[in-house]
Amino acid sequence: MSWDVVFFYLIAAVSVITAFGVVAARNPVHSGIFLILCFVNIAGIFVMMGAEFLAVIQIIVYTGAILVLVLFVIMLVDPEDLPSFHTAEPLQRYLSFLLGAVLLLEVGAAIVTRTGVVGGGEATPENIAAVGGNVQALGRVIYSKYLLAFEVTSLVLTVGVIGAVVLALPERLGERIGTRRGTISLSHTRGADLELPEGPRGETPIEVDRNRPAPTPAPQRTLVMTSDPDAHTRVSSSSERKPQERV
Amino acid sequence: MNDVTVEHFLFLSAALFIIGMMGVLTRRNMLIIFMCIELMVAAVSVSLVAFAWESNTLDGQIFVLFTLAIAAAEAAVGLGIILALSRRGKSVDVDQLHELRD
Repeated sequence: MSWDVVFFYLIAAVSVITAFGVVAARNPVHSGIFLILCFVNIAGIFVMMGAEFLAVIQIIVYTGAILVLVLFVIMLVDPEDLPSFHTAEPLQRYLSFLLGAVLLLEVGAAIVTRTGVVGGGEATPENIAAVGGNVQALGRVIYSKYLLAFEVTSLVLTVGVIGAVVLALPERLGERIGTRRGTISLSHTRGADLELPEGPRGETPIEVDRNRPAPTPAPQRTLVMTSDPDAHTRVSSSSERKPQERV
Repeated sequence: MNDVTVEHFLFLSAALFIIGMMGVLTRRNMLIIFMCIELMVAAVSVSLVAFAWESNTLDGQIFVLFTLAIAAAEAAVGLGIILALSRRGKSVDVDQLHELRD
């Protein structure tokens, strides 16, 4: 048994165990840290397959950027909004286990019986070493064959950034710069457009129908201190259902 | 059995993908579901790199690069949605988010 196989099984075992940790951890922060460990191990797998550039990018982008963003959002989200640890209905859980087992069997059968094409490409290790390494070889392909896709990727990233800013814009900032005029934004509270104050120049920014009934007030959130971890879920769901029945 | 073949990597990729899928199906916290989706994306990139490694091409690695860029954009938008939901006083429990259905 060569060292390659030993390293593969070590890395694979750690990544599968940490992936289970992501799913099973009760605390979202623990899930995030398990995910960081899993991604670092996947970067190790990439190195084993000769994709050194991808391994570095995996660590920089996933663990350096995305996971830090996730941890920031966990800190920003109101702890009261986080559901207590409860999974789906038992039936749903057993069904998902069954589905996972069936899918694993299917994919395993497909992997075992497949007839793969081994070799055939030009990017043999010798050719890559002749170009100067994995990074140089990737760059030659990206900037020739996949140039258009590369440019479109930058467009997608720009749109993503704009979308994230629009979604995460604070409500008060949005009112100050007047985005409520006809914008669709999740950061608006429901019915906020109906109680607009006079505008800065003595005019209402938009047409307001004064005859419309006043919006139903948002349900008051109450802080419930109890040893029952599901108590606040019940309270908030029952208080949120009331205004809907009236409508 | 004495050498690492592409089947090893494909089985690892399948295992990671299915663990992520079961997380999406069983957990109810939106943040955990988001992390499980990232895990599934990473599992698919493992199999893409494995196929590229087997067939001595670089196209699979480039697909993974593009996937990483899309995953970064998806992370920004998805976390923005979670933040907006939290700011509106909504729970991030996916069982309680049924406004589009009502």
